[in-house]
Amino acid sequence: MSDNPEDLRQWRLPRGRHGLPRELVERSQRERLLAAVVRVTVANGYEKTTVGDILGEAGVGRESFYELFDDKLDCMLAAHKILADDLEKQVRVAYDADGPWPERARRSLAVILDWFAVDPEAARFFLVELSTVGPAFRATFKAEYARFTKLLDDGLGEDGPNPELTRATGLAVGAIMARIYEEVVLGKAAELPGLLPELTYGFLVPFVGEEVARIEQERATEG
Amino acid sequence: MIESCAEKTYAATTITDIVARAHISRTTFYKHFEDKRACFDAAIGYCIGEMQKAAAAAHSPGDPPGEAARKAATAVVGALAAKPGLAQLLTGDAMAVEPSVIERYRRATIPALEALWSEDGDEPAAYTDPRLAFGQAQVLILNQIATGNPDKLLDLLPEIVYLTVSPFGGHEEALRQSREAGKTETRGAVSR
Repeated sequence: MSDNPEDLRQWRLPRGRHGLPRELVERSQRERLLAAVVRVTVANGYEKTTVGDILGEAGVGRESFYELFDDKLDCMLAAHKILADDLEKQVRVAYDADGPWPERARRSLAVILDWFAVDPEAARFFLVELSTVGPAFRATFKAEYARFTKLLDDGLGEDGPNPELTRATGLAVGAIMARIYEEVVLGKAAELPGLLPELTYGFLVPFVGEEVARIEQERATEG
Repeated sequence: MIESCAEKTYAATTITDIVARAHISRTTFYKHFEDKRACFDAAIGYCIGEMQKAAAAAHSPGDPPGEAARKAATAVVGALAAKPGLAQLLTGDAMAVEPSVIERYRRATIPALEALWSEDGDEPAAYTDPRLAFGQAQVLILNQIATGNPDKLLDLLPEIVYLTVSPFGGHEEALRQSREAGKTETRGAVSR
């Protein structure tokens, strides 16, 4: 997928510009629509959003929309996937780096909190609006949960802990989701990075026990 | 309401769905509830009440706190597994549509847990934020439902017990109780 998440967040093609290669125009129309569905659903709620609203925000025609997407839900899920891909990519950079596992886990947590804090609108779209789309929510939730649980599992590595609880990684993903979700719902996404020490401890305890988790929590506090 | 939320999520449920399943008329519906939200609130209240009853009946006053928490958690998971519809209503999409339900859950659970560990009415010191543990449990259950396994909620028992005990009992005690819960589960040969 060639969609750039930065574009998804900010992309605006100067209006009235012509003479672009057809392929590029199509790509930009797709990106404009994806950026628009994020903004419009966060502003109006998914249920009240119409394809017309998305078109208006994106400055794209109805025909082009239906060439690219089946419907409003299809467009929304496409935008969601781009954001999830981007989050995963950025977490991987921190998580797959060198260093002991607790440290890599703490740095990854910092990346996640920053990712959500940088763009509260995208954060709200990603976590909150998704759950209002009806039955498709469960399938997407399941897929994303599995994706991030696997990411965490894969990176445990040889030096990583071997937690007693079979679903320790599930608990960890749950801790992040639940905590971030709550801040986002309360409109406090920008303050997320301040949660790093607390979340580091809660995240690590099931894997490494209280002592090691405390040490990492202190490191998180020191920054 | 409970059936429809379980089947097609709260967001997608309409008054028409509710009256059709309840075999009542719209007029009757509006005699009892102002709107979908009011009906949902009542359904949540009913579910929370059921869970509280199950939890309270499961332990006795003499139990040490970790053990009491394990028994209560085991009873709640058992009750949810027996009626997956309730689990789906409680942890489904409704939390996003109506964030205030999260507060209601917390009021129903956290003071009860605190009471187990408190001595002379003082608030116990917490290792981790019980609200976080609660969110983790919700995510686990939601995933089990999204995966299409609402009947296998009992598989989650060791983790749920860990989450119930760890905020006030700490990691080691939580692991002990979690192991104990795992044993009980196997011995009971519950449907896996």
